[in-house]
Amino acid sequence: MKSPFNPFEMAQAQFDKAADVLGLDAPSRDLLRFPLREYHFSIPVRMDDGTTKVFRGFRVQHNDARGPSKGGIRFHPQETVDTVRALAMWMTWKCSVVDIPLGGGKGGVICDPHNLSQREQEGICRGWIRQIAKNVGPVNDVPAPDVMTSPQHMLWMLDEFETIHGGKYPGFITGKPLGMGGSLGRTEATGYGVVFTLREALKQLGIPIDKTRAAVQGFGNVSQYAVRLYQQLGGKVVCVSSWDQADQTSYTFRKLDGVDPDALLGIADRFGGIDKEKAAKLGYGVLPGSAWIEQDVDILIPAALENQITGETARKIKPSVKVIAEGANGPTTPDADKVLQERGIFVIPDFLANAGGVTCSYFEQVQCNQNYYWELDEVLGKLDTKMTSAFHAVSELAAKRKLYMRDAAYVISVSRVAKACKDRGWV
Amino acid sequence: MSGPGRSMLEGLQERAKELHCLYRVHAICGRVEAPLDEVFREVVAIIPVGWQHPPDCTVRITVGTSVYGTPGAEPTPWVLSAPIRVQGEVAGQIEVFYRRAHPPADEGPFLREERKLVDTIAELLGQLLLHRQLVSSIRRVDASGRPVPAESGDWWVIVDFLRQIDRPGYVKIARRMLNYLCWNGIEEAQRLLPRFTGSWSGPGGPEEPTDENRPMVRRNLDVLLKVAEEVFEIAPRHLVPAEILASIQKWIKDDRSGFLIEAVENQGTSLTDLAQALSRFHHAALNDHELSRSLQVDLRVALARRFLTDHLQFIGVAKSYIEVSDFQELTRRIICPPGSHGKVGGKSSGLFLAVQIVRKSEEYAETLKEIRIPKTWYVTSDGVLDFIEYNHLEDLYDRKYLEIDQVRREYPHIIQVFKNSQFSPEIVKGLSLALDDFEERPIIVRSSSLLEDRVGAAFSGKYKSLFLANQGPKKERLAALMDAISEVYASIFGPDPIEYRAERGLLDVHEEMGIMIQEVVGSRVGRYFLPTFAGVAFSNNEFRWSARIRREDGLIRLVPGLGTRAVDRVGDDYPVLLAPGQPALRVNVTTDEIARYSPRRIDLINLETGRFETVDVESFLAETGGSLPGVEEIVSLLEEGRVHRPYMVDWERQARDLVVTFNGLVTGTPFVTRIRSLLRLLSEKLGGPVDIEFASDGRDLYLLQCRPQSFSVEAQATPIPPDVPPERVVFTANRFVSNGKVPHATHVVYVDPEGYASMGDPESLRRVGRAVGRLNKTLPKHQFVLMGPGRWGSRGDIKLGVPVTYSDINNASVLIEVARRRGNYVPDLSFGTHFFQDLVEASIRYLPLFPDDPGIVFNEAFFLGSPNALADLAPDFADLSRTVRVIDVPAATGGLVLNVVMNADLDRALAFLAPPPSEAERAAERRRVAAGGTAPSPPEDHSRWRAQMAERIAAEADADRYGVRAIWLVGSSKNGTAGPASDVDLLVHAEDDPAKRACLAAWLEGWSLCLSETNFIRTGVRTEGLLDVHFVSDADVAHGADWAAKVGALTDAARPLALPKKGRAQAAR
Repeated sequence: MKSPFNPFEMAQAQFDKAADVLGLDAPSRDLLRFPLREYHFSIPVRMDDGTTKVFRGFRVQHNDARGPSKGGIRFHPQETVDTVRALAMWMTWKCSVVDIPLGGGKGGVICDPHNLSQREQEGICRGWIRQIAKNVGPVNDVPAPDVMTSPQHMLWMLDEFETIHGGKYPGFITGKPLGMGGSLGRTEATGYGVVFTLREALKQLGIPIDKTRAAVQGFGNVSQYAVRLYQQLGGKVVCVSSWDQADQTSYTFRKLDGVDPDALLGIADRFGGIDKEKAAKLGYGVLPGSAWIEQDVDILIPAALENQITGETARKIKPSVKVIAEGANGPTTPDADKVLQERGIFVIPDFLANAGGVTCSYFEQVQCNQNYYWELDEVLGKLDTKMTSAFHAVSELAAKRKLYMRDAAYVISVSRVAKACKDRGWV
Repeated sequence: MSGPGRSMLEGLQERAKELHCLYRVHAICGRVEAPLDEVFREVVAIIPVGWQHPPDCTVRITVGTSVYGTPGAEPTPWVLSAPIRVQGEVAGQIEVFYRRAHPPADEGPFLREERKLVDTIAELLGQLLLHRQLVSSIRRVDASGRPVPAESGDWWVIVDFLRQIDRPGYVKIARRMLNYLCWNGIEEAQRLLPRFTGSWSGPGGPEEPTDENRPMVRRNLDVLLKVAEEVFEIAPRHLVPAEILASIQKWIKDDRSGFLIEAVENQGTSLTDLAQALSRFHHAALNDHELSRSLQVDLRVALARRFLTDHLQFIGVAKSYIEVSDFQELTRRIICPPGSHGKVGGKSSGLFLAVQIVRKSEEYAETLKEIRIPKTWYVTSDGVLDFIEYNHLEDLYDRKYLEIDQVRREYPHIIQVFKNSQFSPEIVKGLSLALDDFEERPIIVRSSSLLEDRVGAAFSGKYKSLFLANQGPKKERLAALMDAISEVYASIFGPDPIEYRAERGLLDVHEEMGIMIQEVVGSRVGRYFLPTFAGVAFSNNEFRWSARIRREDGLIRLVPGLGTRAVDRVGDDYPVLLAPGQPALRVNVTTDEIARYSPRRIDLINLETGRFETVDVESFLAETGGSLPGVEEIVSLLEEGRVHRPYMVDWERQARDLVVTFNGLVTGTPFVTRIRSLLRLLSEKLGGPVDIEFASDGRDLYLLQCRPQSFSVEAQATPIPPDVPPERVVFTANRFVSNGKVPHATHVVYVDPEGYASMGDPESLRRVGRAVGRLNKTLPKHQFVLMGPGRWGSRGDIKLGVPVTYSDINNASVLIEVARRRGNYVPDLSFGTHFFQDLVEASIRYLPLFPDDPGIVFNEAFFLGSPNALADLAPDFADLSRTVRVIDVPAATGGLVLNVVMNADLDRALAFLAPPPSEAERAAERRRVAAGGTAPSPPEDHSRWRAQMAERIAAEADADRYGVRAIWLVGSSKNGTAGPASDVDLLVHAEDDPAKRACLAAWLEGWSLCLSETNFIRTGVRTEGLLDVHFVSDADVAHGADWAAKVGALTDAARPLALPKKGRAQAAR
């Protein structure tokens, strides 16, 4: 029997690869291969039926050399500390690649909210904070909502934290609703971020954006805003795909003279599921879900699921395609990467392309800490600046070191963290 | 107009006047509380209108010393009089005078009809006087409340009075008193008993050979009167006056209810007559609480049988809650054909009883006092027979025996024929009354069949229910109502119910269907009419999405608008599920889940189009702008990843962000408590889990239906065999086990958790799902066990479980989710969440397995080591062989089969290998199932298929070659009781020619083996030949000997099968 998949070992292997490229010294490797700190604690909760149940909680701070740790809190029944470690490390690199002054962390509680009432979940949230209130905070470690946790959970946690510390610290947690310390621009951030990096990539490749055509997979939040901004910049999206809940399959909706995101939104449910009959009436061709990848376009934007561009599907990509901007997490498999590399397609890797989200969280924290909130334009303008410079840093490195973009992004983020550790005299 | 026409018209006018007069008198006499003086004065005033010349008519009534007259009532020569008798004694008289002469008629100037009228009025007044005398004598005592020595003689007043005016009654009471004394062990009374033989009238007394023998009766009566007197001398010596009084009162009331008892006991009484008797009972101010216990129960039981059902268990409960007066209420809303002997049907009875239980129980009274029921009218079950007869549609009755495809083809025509048929005038009149009662409120026409709602055969949704907007002129509304009823009637002949009945062995039962016409609960919102929410609730939760939910926590399926979406499965929509015992544990927890799996559409009635429609929740909310009463209790605002109560909502702009969650309803109203109390109360009183339907107009909660929660023999706790040798145990389980058993499984489909986890790309994972779907269609139905990792049918991350839809697994006998430890965690199971209801409906079991738990046996070698038949069964999925394993159990184990037994009471399950059952065991199994009153699972019609095959055999039996004279079908295939392993019993009458006989035997043997093979493909049951042929000779047939006795027998007669043309001629011989 083969040994079960261990996400932390995989994350370490990835790091090792980047460290090799960088020629990182042994103490730095040793430091970065493992979290700086881990907290494991118990959370007793009084249940609705009067009994008490003890839940296991974690917080892993992988590295905070560049700034307070940043990362979500997960409620998951199958949570393991190795998963949390891997995700905390991933957060370190993610913050570093866009060059925001935050480190990486992750936390969680082993529980299944499906077995818990709202009141019990509130008990877990408050209990989690009570156990770790001294070790987290706006200048130490900043949580956010994650798997099976919502802004509601964050508000319970914030409230408990502020009660313990006797003050208002909205910068302790991100992902809060507007009016409770949330930031404008969060909905747009990821989709816009994808297009900011895409714009820079096209500039660099010398392709005028208003002469380009793109195919987009997905019609969720990321895709909708990406389509909008890209078309505002003069590009033409010829198709989007979306999941059909009733048919349990996805379809591609094609309109060669350019899709109209507002019209599609009008016939979509709140999850971006487009009504195929209505779309046909609007003049859209309804094609199989996989058709988006075979379109005669310049740009592919996978913005739905992971593992969509595989060794097999990559072969269907038309020669016209020059850029792939990864809006989704992990849309490209390692097999496919090889094909894309061979064909010289320019890939904007996911953790650079979709870093708009985490950047906006950082902005939320900044605004909270100064207790002054920006207008939407200001948020989006600052986002553009951050994404643009992040892209150039990565692409310059890629060009200089002849690296694949994905590897370059990884290398640059590891190097920034390693440098911070050195600068602080840790290693 | 002149001549005969004119006199006829006059005659009719006279009759109308007389009738009017009689009705008025009747009405006046019925006013129980009015003083006698007033009654007589009014009667006197009303009488003249009934006569030919009212202005000239005066009336005088004399009762004892009182005289009541119209002004100027003086004797004249033109008089018509009638004596008023009380118990045969003249107590007064009525006189009708004309002041002057009029042309002579039948009796002086009076008509024959006027004589009848005056006699009838006199009789009515006589009854009135008797009633008043009795009431006053009883009242005198009643008023005293508790017995006081000073008034101890009061009972004697009554007895004395009875003796004078009602001797038969007197004797009856005496007899009951004597019995009562004897039961109390009074010796004096026991000595008297032998002398008290015989009765006032009727047969039975030893001294009364015939009831025609008057002198005998007379003599007998004298004796009886004497004995009676002695009884009443003995009584006060042993009983206190209060006891005597109370007993006598009760018995007198019993006696006065005689007419009702007679009416209900007589099976010939039509419902209309029964209704009249009930109304008389009501108007006589009788209440069944005042009757003796035995008579009370007797009446209630008899009425329940006539109006509701013959179901004994039902009646057993009904008699404690449904009073005679409730039946009287019921009859006011019953529509029936003349001379009806129908019932209101299962759905109506269930609701009627539930309502009475809720109203009359002390438990939960505070919580449940505001539960309401919508206004309901009933068409009795023989209404459909009346309809069929009235339109000469009798040919339809044998349609149900046709092939299902043919039924399906013909159904649209049947609907058309029904819709173009007429109702009999009585029914039309009844429906018209009902519409007057409903006014212009939307109504629903529901079937209430006698078969529906029987335990184990819930025809849930099999027959039609139709909504009517019921708007506009009455003529149109009536037409629409009749149209709807005929459509519901036609649904009896629809393919789905026929197939369902065939599966349950209910095809031969004569289907009668009552109709329930119910006001739709709800309110008008813009152009729509709808309830704010509606749904169904079950006592037992067979769908536990969390291990914390217990079975008895119950289940609610809740939808906005009409409840149709909660009752039926709607595929792309999601009713909100709640466990009333644990309302805080919701199925969908994360914001995304809540949004994704919330109801998206809403069923309602569009009052403009008059149609039942389905509308998007989003567009409905945008259009109606939150004017639906209580809408803020059912929707939540989805904002920035949070779900909260909709304060200050801009309905039109924010409609997209509103999701139906029922959060307000659950947390802020007593709704859940009410449903939980309802379920508890009804299941306690009805003696088993129940299933209810409800709706709310945003203000009140209405109960719409109540019936037993369907269950079957297979779902009962199965004993775990203690002595299974360890090497035969395949797995054990001891957590979250529900009841059930899977006998004799021949195949196992095992999706290996390790193999599945190691598949990287989603496409391969989906292919596993498709492979399962293929196997589902290939393997013997309901004979295979489906096992796999984690969450079957996972909607989200398909790595967590095989992505299948219900149609990919619907032929499995059990669905098992395996939670193997991975690293240091154990994957979470779905508890069948994704298609639970379907699993229940199809009797597919669900079992979670935790192989790594201590003390658990999991024979992995069996699953991984047995030969894999996947490549043979589904060659194009052969590449998945490492992950998907198909085990042919008998082939892998040398002829054994797999049994899974599950016992929720012990929380244990066991799967073990065992030899396939012998024929005797199978027969015993079938008997057990038959005794349980439910059809065996799988729901296949084994009988019909066998009967059809037998017909084919007969149709091909070459008479010349085989010497066949006749073939009959006998046994289970004929009786509709065949199971998957049953033989087809044929009775074959053939010539006594050995050569032909041998030929015939060989030919039949061929059929037998062929059918056996086909049966295996159909059911997965192996038999050695399927035909059991009994030959009979000419002599047997002539003497009706041996098997031939079945031919033409009175009971269980053999069914003749048609032979080819030539053969038929011989068979007819």
